[in-house]
Amino acid sequence: MSLLEIENVSKRFGGVQAVDDVSLHVDEGEILGIIGPNGAGKTTLFNLITGTIRSDTGKISLAGADITTTSPTKRARAGIGRTFQVVRPFLRMTVAENVMVPVLVHTHKVSEARNKAVALLEELGIGKLADLDVSQLTLAQRKRIEVARALATEPKVLLLDEVLAGLNNREVLDVLPFVNQVRARGISIIMIEHLVKALTSVSDRIIVLDQGTLIAQGKSDDVLKDPAVIKAYIGEEDNVEG
Amino acid sequence: MEILIQTLVAGVLLGGVYALVSVGLNLLFGVVRVINFAHGEFVMIGMYIAFWLWAGLGLDPYVSLLIVAPAMFLLGVIFQRGIIQPIQGTSANMKIFVTVGISIILQNLALFLWGGQHRTVSTSYSTSVFNLGGVTISVGRLIAFIGALVLVAALFYIMNRTMTGTVLRAIAEDGPTAVLVGIPVKKFYFVATGISVMLAGVAGVMLTPFTSASPMFGFHMTLIAFIVVVIGGMGSMVGSLVGGVLLGAIETLAGTYISPALQQAVLFAIFIIVVLVRPQGLFGKGAGTEEVGLK
Amino acid sequence: MKRSHLISGVVVLALMAFLPLIIGQYLLNNAVLIVMFVGITVAWNIAAFGGALSLGHAAFFGLGSYTMAILLLDFGVNPWIGMLAGMVVAAGGGLLLSIPLLRLRGPFFTLASIAFAEVIRLVAVYARDFTGGSEGLTIPYAPGWLNMSFSDREPYYYIVLGLTAIAVLVSVWIYYSRVGYQLRASGSDDEATRALGVNTAVLKVVALVISAALTGAFGAFAAQYFFIVDPETNFSLNLYSIQPALNGIIGGAGTVLGPILGAVLMTPIGEYMRGAFAGQQGLNFMIYGVVLVGVVMLMPGGLVSGIEKLRARFRLKRGVGRRTDTTAALDESRAEDRL
Repeated sequence: MSLLEIENVSKRFGGVQAVDDVSLHVDEGEILGIIGPNGAGKTTLFNLITGTIRSDTGKISLAGADITTTSPTKRARAGIGRTFQVVRPFLRMTVAENVMVPVLVHTHKVSEARNKAVALLEELGIGKLADLDVSQLTLAQRKRIEVARALATEPKVLLLDEVLAGLNNREVLDVLPFVNQVRARGISIIMIEHLVKALTSVSDRIIVLDQGTLIAQGKSDDVLKDPAVIKAYIGEEDNVEG
Repeated sequence: MEILIQTLVAGVLLGGVYALVSVGLNLLFGVVRVINFAHGEFVMIGMYIAFWLWAGLGLDPYVSLLIVAPAMFLLGVIFQRGIIQPIQGTSANMKIFVTVGISIILQNLALFLWGGQHRTVSTSYSTSVFNLGGVTISVGRLIAFIGALVLVAALFYIMNRTMTGTVLRAIAEDGPTAVLVGIPVKKFYFVATGISVMLAGVAGVMLTPFTSASPMFGFHMTLIAFIVVVIGGMGSMVGSLVGGVLLGAIETLAGTYISPALQQAVLFAIFIIVVLVRPQGLFGKGAGTEEVGLK
Repeated sequence: MKRSHLISGVVVLALMAFLPLIIGQYLLNNAVLIVMFVGITVAWNIAAFGGALSLGHAAFFGLGSYTMAILLLDFGVNPWIGMLAGMVVAAGGGLLLSIPLLRLRGPFFTLASIAFAEVIRLVAVYARDFTGGSEGLTIPYAPGWLNMSFSDREPYYYIVLGLTAIAVLVSVWIYYSRVGYQLRASGSDDEATRALGVNTAVLKVVALVISAALTGAFGAFAAQYFFIVDPETNFSLNLYSIQPALNGIIGGAGTVLGPILGAVLMTPIGEYMRGAFAGQQGLNFMIYGVVLVGVVMLMPGGLVSGIEKLRARFRLKRGVGRRTDTTAALDESRAEDRL
């Protein structure tokens, strides 16, 4: 049994089949990469997993427990953490306070939560940012804060939605080690990324979505050679090159 | 039975004007993405202009439309440039409070300039009625109703059959993409806000033969228009039309059969119920409403 | 909560306590109003921590006034107990308003809150057997602490100062508590907060109920202070729904200091305008509108954030703090001031 299992999940918006009968699984400690052209349904899939939107059909289970109809809050508590494609820091709060928000779910004492938040930030090598207001941060820093914040929920699976998007090469090299740091904590990861090269460098396995359907999955080298994948990416060669 | 029909007719006629006010609010909301809490104040301004043109120059309210309509369009353009444009792209909450602020300013400006008393236009046809199969119909209300329907129809025509309307709908559908394909979106915002404010002002003029102008009237209209838009569905022009007529009827029925004192309370109660039971409104598509504020 | 905050709070309160010794009865009336509006604004703002911008708080204020007045007149209940009952009833109103709060966002909640307060006001006008209709109810003059009724203004001043101190204390306590952090996060981005495992619905309801109960206490106080309770005044949209919201927004909604600053600045301006332009109705509220639009457009986060930005710039100019990556970023990355 895998940690997270998704069976035959579909979601339709009006006339658009955003996610069409997708099944996938993530094992403990595994990093699963998701690629696919724009509009392939990647973020919708994330929203289905986190519960922000409900699936029309199919089943989602985490560590054996069915969470198909569980609320986002409960799923987060059960161990599904996420970041957003566009960073969404809590404004007018310091970095430490941002991280305290999830810590306070389990830790009821504020001072204790603060210590834990700062400790986490230090562990991740960004302790010096703790007392800055989030509005003072660069994009790369905000991305890291968002990962830190998601980590503070103590997730079993972490969903990273394009954490590298919008970053320059140097910043990508700053943020990428973060992913391995997360894995080192024994947390499974699903990550959506447009930068295929960066993604394959950290993923154990990748899947490809196109127009809501899963068209290929497996080891990255095999998948990228798959004719269906190449076809889906025609005209988007740049992305494949990464 | 007779009373019921009489009440229904009066309500539906009033509802036509509500529809006119509401399609304007809906247009501004759909295209420019601003919830305008000052919308009713533009109705009030239209009423006052009509009143003063009548009191000062003896101009018939319907003749004054020739002045009010372009003046209100211009006011809309100024409103767009001076107030809305600077706050576009900010949070929904900011937009609320800027337009609430404008509403407060206009309302109290009217109070300051013209006092709190009710201003009534009295024309030869103000009180004239005619009888249709036992139902008494007020001429002023009937003209207002027909005028409102004609204008709503004209707006439908513009939105669905002209280039301008097509562009406005494209912007309403997907603003960012409209910018990307090179539509001068800002220019069309002026058109949308201009039309929206103009329709409100014209609705005000239509009301003057049988409704007196007062500073607080605008706020009342804002609430009515909001309720209509919510009941009819965000972004649905047909919804506003049906919702307006429906609300006019409900309001008049509540006044006759429940109590005039509770007329408004009934409207608000219906609003709250609709919001809870069918948040996307009668004609709302649902999907779009998520993005613009309704859960 | 930091110790320095506590100390400055106590100092301000002590200074305020001496105020009646210095100023006369007329000014003391102004002081009562200012302190009351600080209290109402602070109470309103507790709901705003979680992003709920209500324009319906007059409902809670009026419920507080009427509960106390009706209990006193019809059942002879002591006003102090009546005040507590008023808080409970107002809290019930808050619970009712929570239903739209949880289902609607932004402007639609604000609109629903207006409708909510209007319905209650109209019912108060209608149910004349209980409420005396639009003439309202008159509170008997029976001086004495037990009756919360006095011939001088001093006791009222101390009562309202006490109530406001409690409101501020509750506000500060919530702001720096576990609930406060999660509430503020929800106010900034509710979906992201829920994705972190925070049950924001409960927090928002709790905040609104506390906010409503405190507002109700001020409503009960006002009934005793003005000796009269009527729907146009005690459920006044302008006075008790819009004004606290405007004070809060102008000062900085969702912060601790902002609403206090907003109310302290705006109430005397409003009172002065009302007095100075007594013959010209509307002018005082118009100024309110102008200040609101000006502040929101120029300083989206309110006066408090404006002041903070100025201080930050000043500090930067003086070169306090080394110019690191992050302080450089401060120049570039402007806060997207979402309320």
